[in-house]
Order: sequence, then C-alpha cells, then structure tokens
Amino acid sequence: MKINFHGLAFKQSAMILLGISVVFAALFGFGSSQIQERMSRLLLQKGEEISRANVAVINNLFGSCRNFGEELAVKIGDQQLAGTELDDFLLRSLSGVRATVPQVLAVVVAYEPGMAPKGAPEGEYMRLAHYTENGNVITDGGNYQETTWYTSTRDSMKGIWQEPFIGQFIKEPIVIYTTPIFSTSASGQKQFAGVLCVDISIAFLKDMVASIPVSNNGYAVVLSASNMVIAHPKDEITFKENFGSISKSASRKRFDEFEKAVSSMKSGLFLGSSFEGDEAAIYFTAMETIDWTFMIVWPADSFLEEQRSVNHVFAWISAGGYLIMLVIILVITFRVSRPLKTLAAAAEKLGHGDFDTEIPEVKGKDEISQLADAFVDMRSSLKEFVDKQKGLDRIERELEFAHSIQMGILPKDESEENCCDSRHSLAPLMQPAKEVGGDFYDFFKIDENHLAVVVGDASGKSVPAALLMMVSRIVIRTVAMHLQSVTEILEETNYELARRNKSVMFVTAWMGILDLRTGHVDFASAGHNPPAIRHKDGTVEYVKSKSGLVLAADEKTTYKQQSLDLAPGDMLFLYTDGVTEATNAEEVMFGTVGLQKALSESGNRPPVGACHFVKERIDEFVNGAPQFDDITMLAVQFIGSKDNEWEKHEIVVDAKLENQPSLTQFVEQVLEPLGGSMKSQMQIDVAIDEIFSNIVKFSGANQVTLTVETCKSHLMARLSFIDGGSPYDPTSAKEPDVTLSAEERSIGGLGLFIVKKTMDDVAYRRDGSKNILTITKKL
Amino acid sequence: MQIVKTQQDATLTLALEGRLDTLTSSQLDAEIQGKLDGITSLVFDFAKLAYISSAGLRILLAAQKVMNKQGSMVIKNAGPEIREIFDVTGFSDILTLE
Repeated sequence: MKINFHGLAFKQSAMILLGISVVFAALFGFGSSQIQERMSRLLLQKGEEISRANVAVINNLFGSCRNFGEELAVKIGDQQLAGTELDDFLLRSLSGVRATVPQVLAVVVAYEPGMAPKGAPEGEYMRLAHYTENGNVITDGGNYQETTWYTSTRDSMKGIWQEPFIGQFIKEPIVIYTTPIFSTSASGQKQFAGVLCVDISIAFLKDMVASIPVSNNGYAVVLSASNMVIAHPKDEITFKENFGSISKSASRKRFDEFEKAVSSMKSGLFLGSSFEGDEAAIYFTAMETIDWTFMIVWPADSFLEEQRSVNHVFAWISAGGYLIMLVIILVITFRVSRPLKTLAAAAEKLGHGDFDTEIPEVKGKDEISQLADAFVDMRSSLKEFVDKQKGLDRIERELEFAHSIQMGILPKDESEENCCDSRHSLAPLMQPAKEVGGDFYDFFKIDENHLAVVVGDASGKSVPAALLMMVSRIVIRTVAMHLQSVTEILEETNYELARRNKSVMFVTAWMGILDLRTGHVDFASAGHNPPAIRHKDGTVEYVKSKSGLVLAADEKTTYKQQSLDLAPGDMLFLYTDGVTEATNAEEVMFGTVGLQKALSESGNRPPVGACHFVKERIDEFVNGAPQFDDITMLAVQFIGSKDNEWEKHEIVVDAKLENQPSLTQFVEQVLEPLGGSMKSQMQIDVAIDEIFSNIVKFSGANQVTLTVETCKSHLMARLSFIDGGSPYDPTSAKEPDVTLSAEERSIGGLGLFIVKKTMDDVAYRRDGSKNILTITKKL
Repeated sequence: MQIVKTQQDATLTLALEGRLDTLTSSQLDAEIQGKLDGITSLVFDFAKLAYISSAGLRILLAAQKVMNKQGSMVIKNAGPEIREIFDVTGFSDILTLE
C-alpha cells in the first residue's frame, strides 16, 4: 500500500498515535515515579530498621567512652595526682572501664608544661596506661605539644573525637576522645592543665558492619567526620577510601547534596554512588554521640532490579498496546479513507462530465455510506440538470433564430420598403429586451401619396408575444392592400386577430396614414400610447386622440378615425411603452416628460438622428439598469414639396346660362397645360354644367365666382363655385332612386348626383352670405 | 352641337355631334318635341357626342317615355364616358344601348 503522507489516513493515524504516546508517556512517568517513591519508602523503612539497633549500640559505646573520659579529666584536675598515685589511678580507671567497655585500649594524661602537679618533672609530663595482652601497663611519653590531638583540644577547650587512625602500639583502628583537664589555681581560677585521652579500638566496627544482614546485596558502612571509611565489610576499603573523593569523582553535585542531606537531617535516603563508583541507594544516619555517619548501601543493580522489572513489564504492555492501537487505527482509517479515495476519483470523473461513472458501493449506515448515497443522488441530479441545460441551450439558439427572423421581417429603412420620397423622411429604431419581443413597427406606401405608419406592442413576452406580433404585422399589411381607411384597416385586422384568439392575448397599435402632399394624417389608436409631434420650432406636444379597444380583444370593436395636420418640418414620433417606462436603478421611469424633453432637445435632427438621440437619453437615464421591455420608436418627418403648392385662378360671371361656355372654356384653358385625361376634363365640364345651371336656376344670385386651383404634381383640380344666393347645400339633397323605370322616374336631383359620382370630392360650406361648393378631381 | 336628322319611313335617326348639356339640350328638345308622331323607331347615334349632362338625360328620358308607348328607342355608338354616365344614373336599365 502506498502511503500518502498528506492523506487523511496518515494524518489521522499520526494524530491519534501522538495522543496515545503522550498518554502512555504520562502513565509510564507516573508509574515510574510511583514505583520509585514506593521503593524509596521501602528503602527508608529497611534502612531505618537495620540501622536503628546498630546505631544505638555504637552511640551507647562511644557515649560511655566520652562520659568516662570527662569524669576522669575532672577527677585528675581536682585531685592533683602525681607520681605513682597518678599511675595507679590511671591503671585502676582503665581496668574499670574495660570491664564494661573492652574496646577502651588506653587512658593518657598529657600535662601542659608547668601545669603538672607537684612532684612531677619539669616540662612535658605524660602518663599512658594501656592494655596489653599481659595486663595493663603504664608508660611514659613525650613530644605531644605539637600533635593535632593536643593542640585541637587545648584550642577548643572542650572534648573532641579525633579522626580515627591505625594504632602504633596495637595495629588496629583506633579512635581517641580527647578532653581538656582544668586545675584550680591558688587564686581560685580555673586553668587549662593538660589533655586527657581515651583510646578506643574500633576494630569491632568492621565485624559489626560485616555481620549486619542487608537484603539486595546491601551492606553497612561507617564514615568518620571527614568521610573516611572506618568500617566496611571489605578490608581493602577500610581506612583507605574517602567516601567524599569517590563520590566526587562520580558526581560532585551528588556529594554536595549528600553532605547537605547529612548536615540537615539525622537520617535519610540518598541516591548516589557506591564505593565502586556504581549507582547506589544509601540510607544514612548521623550518630548522636560521635559525629560519624552510619550508612546502609544498596548497589543500584540490585535495588533497581525490581523497579526495572516493573518498568520492563510496563514498557512491554505499553508497546503491545501501542501496536494493537496502531493496527486498529490503521484498519479504521483505511476503511474510512479507501471509500473516500474511490469517491474522490468518482467525483473527479463527474467533474469532467462523465455522468456514467461508477459510484463505489459502500455498505453500512455510517457517514461514508451516506456520502456515497448522496453522491449517487448528486450524479442523477447533475445528469438531469445538464440534460435540461442542453435543452435550454437549444431553446436559446432557437430563440436567437426567431429573433433574427423577427428582426429581418421588420424593415430597417425606407429603401427596403420603396418608400423613399422627397416629401418625407422616416426612421425606425428597435432594441428588444429579450431575444424576441412583442413590439413591432411598420411603414409602407398605400399609394403614391399615402404613407402608412404603424407601431404596435403585442402583450406578453418572448415567443408567444413574438408570434402574435408577426401575425399582427402581416395581417395589417395584408388588409391595407385592399382597404384604404385607417379605421377599416384596424377593424379588419382586429376581426381577423380576435376571431382566432384562443390564448386571450392582445395587441396595442397606433396607425396613421400620412398624405404626403398635404401633411394631413388620418389615424386611429387601438389602446396605444399617443404619439408626439416635434414641431419645426422645437416645441413638442402629444397627439390628443381618442383610443379604441386593443386589437384581438373583441371581434366587433370599431375605431374612430381622427386626424392631425403636419406642417412641413414637423416630425411625428411613434413609440411603445418601453420608451416611457424605461426604468433606472431607483425605480424611476423615463416617462412622457422625459421623452418630451429629449425630443425637444433633439433640435432639428432628422428622424434617424432624433431616434438615436432619444435612445442615448434613455441609456443615460437608466444608467445600466436592466431593460425589461422592448424599446421601439418610429419617427416620420413631413417635408412637403414646392410641387404641392396649388395654383389658383378665378373668374366671375353673371348668373346667366349663356355664360356657361365661357366658364367651361376658362377651366379648360387652366387645366389644359396639366395634361389630364379627356375623360376627366369631360366629367369636369359636365360638373360645371350641372352646378352652374343649378345656381342660375335656383339661387337667385346675380353673379357666380369660380376659382380653379390646380396642383401640378398631383394632377389635381379643385373648383369652387361661390355665389351670394340663398343658402343651399346640394350635397344634403336626397339622392334619386336610380333603379326606377323610365315612367316612374322624375328627373330632379340627377345633375348633382352625377357630379358626386364623377368627382373625387364634393364639399359644401356656407361662408357668411355665400354658398361655397367645392369639387375636387384628379385629372 | 350639331344634329343630323334622317327619317326613313317610320324610323327617325338623330346623329349628335358635340356636347349635350344645359344649353344645347333645348336644341335637341326642339327637334323631338311634337315631332315623333308616326315614328315607331327612334335611333340616337352618339358616335360623335362628347358628353351628356343631366339636361340631356332629361330629354332622353322624356323621349323614352314617348317611344315606350308607340315603338322603340335605341342609342347607338355611345362612348365609354357616356356609358359611364348611363351606368351611374341607372339609365342603362331604362335605355336600349347598342
């Protein structure tokens, strides 16, 4: 198995093992210290048990010796013995003390020169009673004044245990207790007189320590005040080794600690070096009667053996537990991480779009299996989502396609519709909110002199709106081919849309037909925003119009024809609510006021420039806020033409029938240069005949004025008959029934009937005292 | 307006040339009024007639009414402009056009 050092398994295992290690280490440390403490207590107990009796014996012995020495020194100082009296006294005393303390080997008196009792020789005076195998004997001695034992006692003026040594006379270890002797002078003063010594053999100490049974290879040792080994089971060490020097070589610090412990405590346990330099536990007891130290020494090897064995067991158990834990952790971790690894691999495949990848099956009900289940769910959800997304992509593409068709069907400029004409200028602008929108516009020429403009907005958004918009536009165009009035066109369109409108959608539309000669616009509105007019002087106003019901709502809807007149230079601006309802981030709409201002500021820009100017103003206003509705504009500017001007001619004749030919001749002369048809001329002549004869016969006027207005560019003639006769409106006369038989016919009213039928327009008005009848005819 | 009048037995043919309007209709009226006795066939030749006004129609109507009682009346060679007037005024149904 390849170990991934950054993997979860490794990290987890490492962390758990680290934790376990810490716990084991703490346990081990605690156990060790507990064991050590117990061992120490045990050793303390043992050491005390072993030491107590022996120390008491030694204390007793040296205490007796010390007391004996003190008593003897007092007696000698008081009694002032000399000569044989002194010798006898010393021998008696020695024998006495040896009866109870056979270790006492000798009693010595050394006088300070000049201080010896009377009868003693001058200078040094020393008497020595000592034990021999043949009995106690007394001898003389000298040269003591410079010895350590003498000077130290004289200087300190009190009893001192001297450092042990190997005796000269008796070859065995000896310790001497020295104490000063005081004599009382004649004046009663206490004076230093000399030193009394008690020599005590300490050979017994060796036997004593050798005989003390100590468990665990331990043994007893006695140290002098200067740490000299004075009793040791081994001869080669006794009086040859100094405990301090051995310990120093091992560890100075430990020895210092030992000295400190000994000086501060009467007894205690010390872990230091044995005389062999090995690790050792030492129980020590400071003696009371002599400043020696009694020690029990256990070499570390033996006393630590127990502790070590316990530690070993503990260590083995720890190691075993550690191993078992390790195995368990590894098993658990890899059990967890293996499915995770396979899941990760599967997730990577999923990430690359392979939705058929196998998700590993994980048994059980733990978190890993839950994760695996979640993965399976995620895969199917993702697959579904991606499939759906693919579908959406397709729809989006189709919408884009629809958008291009839709935009393609709308004419981009006049040249596409063959509407170019010097008498007007026109431009559309459309920005759909989505790929396909419900707005539309259209413009087309109905005939030479009439231009239709339409703007509409199908309800709803997207595809349904686009479909309805396209249908509406096509129906309007088709209907306009055979109908000429704007109301008829809208009504027919409405009928066509309404009768098949099953989805309750509707369309608003505004349609106008501009007479390119006069600037006259007939229009009707199907629930659409009223357009604006930008006048030549820059003022902008909205067209006041009465709107009918929206298209496609009701088959029977009728529309009211209204009209407006554009002066040359005026611009009619059609738009949809996407313009006025363009909204900025603060939810404020561009509004009709904004549009009016923008149009006003567009100055004298032609339609193309004006549309773009308004669009820029809208963009500035919304400032990047999203566009929710199509923005559509259609601007048409009426330019007019000089050819449109009407030439006016006038003739005044008396109201007599015989003047009719001169009228006819006058009109023929006026119209002749225009080159109209013979038929039109003839029909006009008939009309003159009918109207003039009528006036002559019935009005009672004396004179008739005939004005003839002609428009060369459109081949139009407008004749106005003006008379001052009684008011008479021939257009209101009842029309004759032209279906009657010859016998039933009356001939009246037929003349004007013919005029109405043959002229393009017949209009009457009464102006003050005058009748004005105007006929218009295309030549 | 000129009127060329030819009579053969009981057939009277009137060929009109020019304009038949308010002024000239009296001329035609004079040619017909009281002069149709014995005539069973009245023929108008409009080949050269430029136009006709309601005054002319009135004479034609009066003549047709007379001829309905004593014979027949036919209008020959009417141009499209004149035919249109007849159509508009319903005279096409009253008159016999050839």
